[in-house]
Formats: sequence, C-alpha cells, structure tokens
Amino acid sequence: MKLTIKVILMTGALSMAACTNAGKLGGGAGDGAFDPNAAGNSGVIAGSASDPASTAYFQQAVGDRVTFEVDQSLLTAVGRATLDGQATWLLANADYTAIIEGHADEQGTREYNIALGNRRADAARSYLVSKGVPSSRMQIVSYGKERPIEICSEEACYAKNRRAVTVLAGGLTG
Amino acid sequence: MNTGQIISAVGHAILIGWMVFGGIFRTEQLPIEATEVSVISGEAYAALMAAQDSPTSQNEVAQPAQPVADNEVVDVPASETLPEQETPDSAPAPFADDAPDVSELIPLPDAEVSDAAPVLPTPEPEVAVEAPETSETPVPQASVRVAPEAVTAPDPEARRDPVEQDAVEPAEVGETVVEPQEATAPEEAATEIVTEAEQPAAAPETSLRPPPRRATRPAVQTAETLEPAAEPVAQEQSGFPAVEDALAEALGQVTETPRAPSGPPLSAGEKDALRIAVQDCWNVGSLSSLALETTVVVAVSLTQDGKPIVSSIRQVGSEGGTSASANQAFETAKRAIIRCGTRGFQLPSDKYNQWKDIEMTFNPERMRIK
Amino acid sequence: MMVRIFIILMALVMTATLSLAQQGPLRIEITEGVIEPLPFATPNFVAENGSSVEMGAQLARVVAADLQNTGLFREIPATAYISNVTDFGSVIQYPDWKAINAQALVTGAVNVSGNNLTVKFRLYDIFSGAELGNGLQFQGTTEGWRRMAHKVADAVYSRVTGEAGYFDSRVVFVSETGPKNKRQKRLAVMDYDGAGLKYLTDSRSLVLAPRFSPTGDRVLYTSYETGFPRIYVLDVGSVQRRVLESGEGSISFAPRFSPNGQTVVYSQATGSNTDIYTMDIASGRSTRLTSAPSIETAPSYSPDGNSIVFESDRSGAQQLYIMSANGGEAKRISFGQGRYGTPVWSPRGDLVAFTKQSKGRFHIGVMRVDGSEERLLTASFLDEGPTWSPNGRVIMFHRETQGADGRSTLYSVDITGRNLRPVRTPEGGSDPSWSPLQK
Repeated sequence: MKLTIKVILMTGALSMAACTNAGKLGGGAGDGAFDPNAAGNSGVIAGSASDPASTAYFQQAVGDRVTFEVDQSLLTAVGRATLDGQATWLLANADYTAIIEGHADEQGTREYNIALGNRRADAARSYLVSKGVPSSRMQIVSYGKERPIEICSEEACYAKNRRAVTVLAGGLTG
Repeated sequence: MNTGQIISAVGHAILIGWMVFGGIFRTEQLPIEATEVSVISGEAYAALMAAQDSPTSQNEVAQPAQPVADNEVVDVPASETLPEQETPDSAPAPFADDAPDVSELIPLPDAEVSDAAPVLPTPEPEVAVEAPETSETPVPQASVRVAPEAVTAPDPEARRDPVEQDAVEPAEVGETVVEPQEATAPEEAATEIVTEAEQPAAAPETSLRPPPRRATRPAVQTAETLEPAAEPVAQEQSGFPAVEDALAEALGQVTETPRAPSGPPLSAGEKDALRIAVQDCWNVGSLSSLALETTVVVAVSLTQDGKPIVSSIRQVGSEGGTSASANQAFETAKRAIIRCGTRGFQLPSDKYNQWKDIEMTFNPERMRIK
Repeated sequence: MMVRIFIILMALVMTATLSLAQQGPLRIEITEGVIEPLPFATPNFVAENGSSVEMGAQLARVVAADLQNTGLFREIPATAYISNVTDFGSVIQYPDWKAINAQALVTGAVNVSGNNLTVKFRLYDIFSGAELGNGLQFQGTTEGWRRMAHKVADAVYSRVTGEAGYFDSRVVFVSETGPKNKRQKRLAVMDYDGAGLKYLTDSRSLVLAPRFSPTGDRVLYTSYETGFPRIYVLDVGSVQRRVLESGEGSISFAPRFSPNGQTVVYSQATGSNTDIYTMDIASGRSTRLTSAPSIETAPSYSPDGNSIVFESDRSGAQQLYIMSANGGEAKRISFGQGRYGTPVWSPRGDLVAFTKQSKGRFHIGVMRVDGSEERLLTASFLDEGPTWSPNGRVIMFHRETQGADGRSTLYSVDITGRNLRPVRTPEGGSDPSWSPLQK
C-alpha cells in the first residue's frame, strides 16, 4: 500500500512537472521576444519559413510563382491553385504589398516578350483581385526574357522561365 | 489564167510580201553593202589602232595642281568639358565633334599616255580572297563570284582570267537551245547567291540545280526568228519553175554578191560566243539597286581582230532608272566590253562586215538579287 | 500578160532586196553578268611632310578596309604593285595598274601640321584611263582622321556603285557580359567598324534597345532603373539623360524617333494590353494609336514619316502591319509561316527588315513594304533586331548562341544575303542601332 501511494505520488509529481515545464517554455518564449504572431505556436522562429507570416513561408510553402505554356498567358489549374493560396495569404497578412513580375523564355523577340511577360503578370494579378485581394496592393512589371532563372536552351529550362512571380514588399518582418 | 498561174501568183505574192514586210520582224539586218577589203601589214594596223586609241589631250592648264587654300575651315569644337559625374565607375565622356571639311581640287590635266597596241603581260593568278576571319558560326559560304554558268573550283594551275576563254564553237542554226562549251579556267563561280537562310548542304553544286531562269534566253529568240526566215524560202519552191529559177537567180545575184566579203549571216552560236564573252566581264556586283533597274544600249565598233575601239564605245539608249543610274550602268557595260575585249572577241573574220559595228543591250533584270 | 506580171514582180523584188541592203549594226542582248568583288588598289597616302608618313599609311588602311569589308570590292595588296604612287600630282601609269588587274585606284595625300590634318584623294577608273569624278580635299583635326578616311571611302564607294556611302557613321548598342541569368548590360557607341568605342551608361540598371535620332545626336532607350521599364532620351554629346513620362502605373518600351526627330513612337502596357502611342517630345503630350486587345509593339516609322510598321498578334501569332502615322486601320503585310517581329523600315523606303521565327529557327529577313518578295538573309538559333545602314544596303543585327554559355554578338549582312560577318566588340553586343551618315 505504501508503494502504490508512492508510485501514484511520483507519477503525479512527474506529470505536473511536465506541465510546469511546458508552461515555462511557453512563458519563456513569450517573455524573451514578444511575438504576437507566434501566440499559440510552439517552437517558431520569427521570419523563417516556419513562420507562416514571413515571406520565406510565402515563397516556399505557399508558392510565389506560377508557370505558363509556350506563348500563353492563360493560368493553368496548378497556377490557379497556387494563386488561391497566395490570395489567402495576402488577405491574412494585410500589411504586405506585392509586385508581380512577368517573364518569358528566350524563344521570342525582345519587345514581344516584354509584352507577353506583362500579360502573364496581369493574368496573375487579375486572378488575385478576383479572389478579393485589393488591386491597390499589387503592381505588375515585366522583364521579358531578360531574367531567366534557368539558362539551358531546352524546354525543361524554358518551362521554368515562363513564369509570374509574386514578390512581397512591406510587412513588419522581412 | 489557169490554176497554175494563180498558184504561182499567190506564191510570188507571198514571197514578195515576206521580202517587203518580213524585215519588220527581224531583229537584225543583214549587211549587203559592198565593202572594199584590202590587206595591210600588222605594223601598219597597229599604228592605225594606236592612233585611234590615244586619249585626246585636254586643254586645261598644265600646272601642277595647287590645293585650294581653304579659308572656310569648319569650326572644330574643342573637347567639351566633362560634366561632373557622380558615379565613380565608368564615367562616360562626351565626344569632340570632328567634322571634316570638304572642298574640290583642281583636276589634273591628262598627260599623253603612250598606249601603243597594249600588250598585256599574263596576269598573275588572282590572290585568294578574304579568308573567313572567325569560325565561330559555320557559315555556308557561297563562292565569292556569281556568274551565269556554274563553275566548280578550277585547277589551281589554270590562270583565272575571264579573258582566257576557249569558247568552243557551238552548234548551227536549227537547234533552238544553244549551249556553248564552258571556258577553260574562269574563276570558281556559283549561279546564284546562296544566303545562309537557304542552307545548302555543301559548297553549292550548281550542276545539280540548273538555274531556273535560263529556260528562255535571248539567243533562242534570235535563233527562232531566223527559223521562219528559212521556211518561206523553202515553201516557195513549188509552182512556176521558170519564174522561180529566174527569180532565184535575180535574188541570188542581187543579194549574194555584196555578201561575199561578209559571208553568210552570223550563226546564233557565233553571236552567243560574243555574248558570253562580254557577259563574263559584266560585273554588276557593285551596281546600285537603281542601276540594276536600268537597261542601257551601248554601241561599239570593233577592229578586224575583234578588239573594241575604246573611243567608239558610247551609250545610245537607256530605259528605266535615272540618267545617273544609266550612266552607272553604261560605265559598267563599257568596262565589260573593254576588259573582255582586250585580246579580241572570237568572231569570224570573214564576216567582219556583220560585226564591225555592234549595239549591245545590257539588261540587268535577271541579275537583281540573284 | 504574164511578162508584165513578171516584170512587176521583178521590180518589187529588186526594191525589196535593196531595202534589205541597208546596213545595220549587229545587235545582241546581254542579260546575264557576274557578281564579283571589284579589284582596287589603295597605295599609302602620300605624306606631304615628314610627320605624315604614318598617317598616310593608316588612312589608306582604313579606306581599304571599308571598301573590302563591303564584299563588293577586293583589295590588291601592295606587294603586287608594279608602279607606285610617290607623288600625288604625278600622272598615273595606267598599263601598270591594268596589268595587275586593278579596276579602280585610290590615291591620296596627307598633311599633318600640329593638330591640323588635311587629306586629299583622287579616284581613277583604270580601264577607262581617266579619273572618276573630281579629287576632293578634307580638313580637320588629327583626332578626326578616321572620319576623313571614312569620307574618302564613302566617296569612292558612291562613285563606283552609284549608291550613297555609309562608312562615316556610328552604331549605338547594348554591351553585355556575364551568364544569361546574371547579364550585365550597358549602352555603348562606336564607329560602325568598331573603333572609338565609348560607354554611355553603367551596368547598374538593365538597359535595352537604344535607337539613334535622325540627326545622330540623341539616343532613345529603355531602362529599368526605377524598377519599371521606362523610356529615356540621352544626349550623346553631353551624356545627359531624362525620362519620357508616360502613363502612371504603366510600362513603356520599344521607342523610336520620327524622321523629323520631334515625335517618339513607343509601346505602353496598361493592364494586360500593350498598344502603340506617340509622344510629342517638346510638349510631352501623348496620343494612343492602337487599341486592339492584342499585343501591338515594335513600331517603326517610314522615312517620309507618314506610315508606321509594327508587329501585332491580333491574328493569333505575331505578324507585321502598316498603318498611318496617325493610327487608324492597319494593313497586314506578312503572310508566311511563322512569327514576324521587330520590323524596321529601310531609309530608302523600299524595304522592311524583320525577325522571323519559323520551325525553331530565327531569321533576319527583308520584304517589300507591300509584303511581297520576302527574302530570308540569315538563319540561326537566335538572330534578332535588325537595323539599317544609312544607305539601306547593309543590315546589322545580333546573334545569340544557345546553351548556358550562350553569348551575343553583333553581325552585319548585305541585303543580298552576302557578306555575313561579325562586328567585333570588347564584350558581347546586342540591339544595335545605326546612325545616319555623319555630316
């Protein structure tokens, strides 16, 4: 009987200690760096990709770019899904603005590619507007074929270069 | 009048009609006029030619040309002061505008150039033209020279000289297409300009690609117009034999005697040989596009050994373009006649009367952007 | 009766025969010729004083290079000369030059005193045995010696070919270095043959497609220095630039001057649409010329300023159209298979040069302004951006090679498609624009 009580007491003490520790951790984080966005989250470092309010998160988890078919500025289904995520994010993080950059692959002449990149950027912006993002928060620009990210002269690279990238600006953290 | 007489009268009418009206359709007149031919020595002839060829001395002042002391030197602005550049790196500088001034010199008087019977030493094989400077992008090079007949690269031993042609006498009248033999050693040539866009597999083997525009050639035309000339004469053989013979005799008497020094008409082949000879020196490569739309007619007289008399070369007509472009075209045609005629054109000396005066029409229509 | 008929017939025959007895010249028609470089000789220009010897040689070299590089002339090297020209005023020994097959001879004289330079030349037609045109004299400073050599070459070229010259001209272009995904671009200007290169901007901002004004004193170009493509006008002499303000929140690019230099035609993208606008430079007022929902861009004026050729994808793919300089209905002029872009009107008004994409290849081509006689001059992985020489006879463009190591090089080609050759620049080069002939 004494052993059982001891065991019960030990177990109770241990579990309470765990609770205290957890509470301490949470409290510690709260004391150490005031981060209202991290309320309720455990183990989050501000500004990193695990921070859902950071640009890094936007770029990697949400997806900051959509790609297009050759000579097209129509959004693909994948593109629309990505933009859905962007719209949600932008609505949740209202202190960010965005510049949407349109790009083209090198299989075209210089001026036309600027115009084509512009069309792609505008296609992405229009879609975001249709999802409720205020257009005043967004601008578009086109780089034509001047800023490829992949430099091989094959379709695998071209497909990645035909893109509209949403670049964030503003916000309290990078 | 019986049937025979009617047939004969009709036949005669046809004959006379042809003789009177047929001349309209002929492209050339047969020279009939009697000419006295006398034989002179070679030296006397050379002296005759030298006298004709020497340029007329000018009446201008024979002073050494003094450069005009020009007072109106254009203001050459001094180098403008560099504007202050904020950026440290690569400060682009403004440029001093060096506008050269242009004025005319007094033309030099032409001195007497001793030009007795020009004897050309054999020209050296022409130096190879510019070697490709870079081989970054393999450009399918067409040959430097474009000419109507395709010539694959000749034997390097052979002298490359358009004058050195051995034109083989082509076939007689009666064949509609006359193809004279190729000259021995002209420079390598293609028949067309081959642009990079046309992407030939190798050096243009133009023997595989007969030039499409050669289907109709003026030589064919003259050959053809000569053909119908032959026929009425043949047709005419039926009918009144007595009148026939008398007629033929009369014809023969009147026409043949004056022709004795001129010989039978120049065959299409002989004319072709002359045409090809001039063609080979007719370099339209440097003609302006306006001059390439201008046709000029050039008259020239030849000596008995087929050499053009330079002073006789003159423009007698032009079509299209402006007078400036006609002049350009004329100068190029003149050069062609002089260059390829320095050794004399290959023309039958027994027909000298027929070719001692020639009118050449230079029509560059086909040469535009070949 | 028959005897009478016979006599009449005989008389007619005699008359007819005698009428045939008129002598006429032999007539032949020459319709085929050859196209070959015209051989010429340019001995060193005679030095009129001791300090000019080297200048005399340099001038002759530039003149000879100008002529030979057209592909229409071929220089006969000095080693082949039989007689030489040691005195500018002396008589030419025509047979000596005929013997080496020179058809044209350019002689010159040069005098250098201090900073002043005087250059004289004469041109001889060897086979005609006479001068071709009058001798000319140029005066200027020693710094401008190359321009004088170009002016001599221009005179020779135009007298022999009948075309206007183009050697005393400049080219503005984009000088570029670096891999494709980190290209550094800056504006540069040079003589058409590559000499005297100077940079006009630094590489901090992306710059594209510079274009000369009709007088060669200003350059229009597109720059991203504000983060958005905007049009700038740069004064070549002072290197000062200013922006051409266009609509708020829009992108503008592809500018060109009108032939009178007072208007700029350009493209502006508003929303998803790109259209063509003009702007009066003095007042800054802009006018919209096209309003189709398709992409309209790359406009270029005709030399008389009355028409504009441009590219549009309104038919589904890029094609060339011509409209009045005031806008209005546009007429399509390109109908081949493929995509047509970057049209440029020839300074002679007769042709339009363009870039064509077809079957995975790029071509530089020309066509008449009614769209007929389309001819392709080049073919490669990526050729684009033609510009015309001042006499409308030569086209310069750039060629980019494929792959990660791709590099861009300027090239020139004759409008016949002959004489394709690279134009050397210190770095890579693209987007060339040829100035008019300098005065």
